[in-house]
Amino acid sequence: MKRVLLGLVSLAAIAAVVAWVLSAPQTLSETALANLQPGDAVRGEQVFWAGGCASCHAAPGAKGEDKLRLVGGVKLESPFGDFIAPNISMSAPDGLANWSLEQFANAMLKGTSPDGQNYFPAFPYTSYTRMELQDVADLFAFMKTLPAVDGKAPDHEVGFPFNIRRAVGLWKVLFLKEGPVIAEPLTSETDLAVWQRGRYLVEGAGHCGECHTPRNPVGGLELASWLSAAKAPVGNGTIPDITASEKGIGSWSVEDIAYYLESGFTPDYDSVGGEMVSVQENMAKLPASDREAIAVYLKNIPHK
Amino acid sequence: MRFLKYGIAVAALAAASLSLNAAAASDDPVADRKAVMQSVGAAAGLGGGMLKGQIEYTPAAGKAAISTMNAAAHTFGGLFPDGSDMADNSTAAPAIWDDRAGFDAELAKFAAATGAAAKASGKEGPADLDAFKAVFGPVLGTCKSCHEGFRVK
Repeated sequence: MKRVLLGLVSLAAIAAVVAWVLSAPQTLSETALANLQPGDAVRGEQVFWAGGCASCHAAPGAKGEDKLRLVGGVKLESPFGDFIAPNISMSAPDGLANWSLEQFANAMLKGTSPDGQNYFPAFPYTSYTRMELQDVADLFAFMKTLPAVDGKAPDHEVGFPFNIRRAVGLWKVLFLKEGPVIAEPLTSETDLAVWQRGRYLVEGAGHCGECHTPRNPVGGLELASWLSAAKAPVGNGTIPDITASEKGIGSWSVEDIAYYLESGFTPDYDSVGGEMVSVQENMAKLPASDREAIAVYLKNIPHK
Repeated sequence: MRFLKYGIAVAALAAASLSLNAAAASDDPVADRKAVMQSVGAAAGLGGGMLKGQIEYTPAAGKAAISTMNAAAHTFGGLFPDGSDMADNSTAAPAIWDDRAGFDAELAKFAAATGAAAKASGKEGPADLDAFKAVFGPVLGTCKSCHEGFRVK
């Protein structure tokens, strides 16, 4: 009996050590960072709009120039609690003024904060991890040109046990994956370079899957049902299917999708609504070729 | 004589309540507002189709699109009585009832844009596509600013 008990205790101890090691926040390797060039702010502005940064990090309801004041405060409600987007302006007391590019890249690509904590995945680093390191550098260069706005956003309202940041490390082992979600387009007639640009925007910076793909009970994306509609995080609503199927937007042409992202109007002249308004207005700031690339990519996604 | 006075007062009250009923239009505000919004969608489709060059522009068609929008802008706000928010088939957001002033402000923007367009379109309708675009563009611009906060989805 005593021996069994001893065995159980040591097993538990081993499990605890393994969990502790696995949950350690990850950072970029020296080799990955070695070739990093200083960012280009002009290119970075495109990355900024593609990434939708302002939709969460500008003040709630911000319009126009105020979208460039990244003071935070937008609340993201979820079954795990309410997450409040923080200040990411260049404010010294409250924002990123003192961050290095390396720290910023670790936040974006690894979900790890400068003080070595795991960010909650309400910050969509599970998508941003697919971004090119140089795009992240360009983005940071652009953000440095934006106004420093003081003011601390309220704390997250997340209850036990979801508030244990260390445990997010285990979640990251399961759900933080760098590779592409979709390997190739549905049809061989598709222009591969355009499709790949679309994939990069949708699966990476655009982080479309974070809302349009269903999640499992612990909040990980069910990649097997990529973009095939999801239950709204709160309430009874559904976030639409945007696959190229009957259930999704299969009846839309590439031009229809690109026009929707530019103007906010569907082919039958319904207008964009809800949280998608902010997303569409970001997409409207991209080059037309990027909107077309997104459309070409979406036209090649099957419903699953 | 006194009796007559009462009679008139009662008749006036009855007439007033009748006209109140008339203002409520029907028993189903959800169906009413959907019908109005469908006419808005059709007008947007006509106007947008002309702006995109998919439908040939004529001043009469321009005027029809503008007038439909203008009529909707002036009546839509009355179709959201208390208690019509919980209907299963409604995509009206609870914010309409929680933030009535905000909703009314969005409707006022809609009506300002349609009113200006109606005024500019005159008797014949805007003379050419550029004239139409100048007044119909702002009307279309008000759709999403209201749908952002006041429609579910």
